[in-house]
Amino acid sequence: MRFRPLVALLLLAGTGGAQAADLVVSAAASLTDAFQAVGKAYEAKHPGTHVVLNFAASDVLLRQIASGAPADVFASADETAMDKAVAAKAIDPATRQDFAANRLVLIVPHDSTAAINGPADLKAATVKRVAYGDPASVPVGRYTRAALEQQGLWDAVEAKGVLAQNVRQSLDYVARGEVDAGFVFATDATIMKDKVRVAATVPTPKPITYPIAVVAGSKQPKDAAAFQAFVQSAEGRGILAGFGFEAP
Amino acid sequence: MSIDVAIRQSLRDDARRFELDIAFETAARRVVVFGPSGAGKSLTLRAMAGLGRPDAGHVRVDGHVLYDAAAHIDVPARDRGVAYVFQDYALFPHLTVAQNIGFALRGGWLNPRRRERDPRVVQMLALFELAGVADSHPSRISGGQRQRVALARALVAEPRLLLLDEPFAALDPALRGRMRMELLALQQRLDLQLLVITHDAADVEALQGHTVEIRDGRVVR
Amino acid sequence: MASLWVPLALTLKVALWATAINLVLGVAVAFALSRWRSHAREVVDSILTLPLVLPPTVLGYYLLVVLGRRGVLGGWLDRLGIELVFTWQGAVIASTLVAFPLVQKAARAAFEAVDPQLEGAARVLGLREAAVFFRVSLPLAARGITAGALLAFARAMGEFGATLMIAGNLPGRTQTLSVAIYAAVQAGDDHAATVMVLVVSATCVAALLLAGWLAPDHTRRSRP
Repeated sequence: MRFRPLVALLLLAGTGGAQAADLVVSAAASLTDAFQAVGKAYEAKHPGTHVVLNFAASDVLLRQIASGAPADVFASADETAMDKAVAAKAIDPATRQDFAANRLVLIVPHDSTAAINGPADLKAATVKRVAYGDPASVPVGRYTRAALEQQGLWDAVEAKGVLAQNVRQSLDYVARGEVDAGFVFATDATIMKDKVRVAATVPTPKPITYPIAVVAGSKQPKDAAAFQAFVQSAEGRGILAGFGFEAP
Repeated sequence: MSIDVAIRQSLRDDARRFELDIAFETAARRVVVFGPSGAGKSLTLRAMAGLGRPDAGHVRVDGHVLYDAAAHIDVPARDRGVAYVFQDYALFPHLTVAQNIGFALRGGWLNPRRRERDPRVVQMLALFELAGVADSHPSRISGGQRQRVALARALVAEPRLLLLDEPFAALDPALRGRMRMELLALQQRLDLQLLVITHDAADVEALQGHTVEIRDGRVVR
Repeated sequence: MASLWVPLALTLKVALWATAINLVLGVAVAFALSRWRSHAREVVDSILTLPLVLPPTVLGYYLLVVLGRRGVLGGWLDRLGIELVFTWQGAVIASTLVAFPLVQKAARAAFEAVDPQLEGAARVLGLREAAVFFRVSLPLAARGITAGALLAFARAMGEFGATLMIAGNLPGRTQTLSVAIYAAVQAGDDHAATVMVLVVSATCVAALLLAGWLAPDHTRRSRP
């Protein structure tokens, strides 16, 4: 039976996708590390449930869900993405709740010699490129634009803008030193403490809150609701706090 | 005025091994190298033109040393003053008849222009009765015309030696006799130094030259 | 529709530059390979074909590591004032790299199809090697090379993965059509995405039709 290993491999590959018993959680990119820990803790408490995590920019996740992707829970990094989900009837609005809060920070490469201590310093000619999420599809980009518009700095920074597909790409651009500065969430900056330095915490006109909801088309709404409840429980909040997230 | 050839070359490939060891010297204006295919005729011709490099020996034409292994002389093909008419003529398919004939007259990286007419090209077109097809491409003209284009292209730069590889093999029998007469007449009119290789005894008879017969890489007569 | 013309013009600029560079580079390498008698030839050929099979993200990562500000070459270029990451020139490099094998392979096949006797004839007629190349080998291989260049142009038009990694997504500066399509789809702007998708598709179909029309078969059919 020369083909047996091959057949076994093909069958194994089949288990990699989402199975009926799997709980698919689509979460904002900034939740990557925190939700991996939350997922593990949830699985430990609910043997038999496998949590499949799908991370991307919130709007990308929303598009996937609205197009019929088999997700059960949606956690976004801003209210705009969740509003769009409500408008698209992609989630059950009754389940929508805020579960965490965050802050916007301006970061620079750890070895940066540029004098960047706040958004106003980005106007300097020595600052050539600034990374932030694409405001059209990435929440951190929307927060950045709103904050800079309030300070009258948006036009100057936009001219130097490098649009990232999600917040972690902005973080990576700064960590690699390909840009002079970037806007990410405070929780993201902590992950690469050795490669990036927080130059300033940037006040946003609206507070940065993370809403969570059960997906409208979920085939296992009870399990989805259980996961959502776990995220909002004392244990869930404790894990999130460990990654720097604040209470809503 | 003479041709002095003495070359040795061994060729090997997976299946067989071929030893060429040819020497002949003649002052004749018409030389015919005669032998069956595979005897080493083309190899000899390529060595004389500078398209192949023998292992040892020499090639001298009219006292000019073109190749001498012992003296480390190997004049590149472009500087030998030797013209070569290939068996299937090797006319440039992307150029017109006039451009083919004028090819050697123009140095540099550009081909002669389509409408360009060097007086020597005009002369050749007239001599070989090709004026009517001057702007045609080689694929559009007859076999006899193709051979005349190849001859005209070879002669336009006034070579000291004209090499012809089986010049009549590609022609149909009716045309063959006529082209033999044409070549003989041309040689006599221009007093060309000619070397023809052939496997056809009829060519030997028609050209009435000094004949070197080779077989299996050796001169037998 | 201003949001279409800017990325379209940029895409054409990048694709044309990439094709032009490949015409010089790909043809030179192809000619050298077609005349090189060595067993190492096929090894070199395989390495040069890698961009055709490697995921564009792998190529993009290589480029970022080599050309980035902290990269092997990038740091050195940075001191010379040359920036490639997040510039349209970076996009040209990405497109050139992915399209290179298409020109190289087509050109090599075209050069190998040239009758060596014609090159020999040119030498006997007094030409130096460079002149033999420009007057005989290149014109006879021109159709095959042009077909390869059109394929490369179409490939460069559609290049996305490596471009996004090295050139990023800077509207008006490095946002080519394929990157703009990606951004539009993510943002839910299906109308803009549809228009751009149709433009890219039409351009690529036109390039492929032209490449097919220039293929060697056609030459024979059109010359009775």
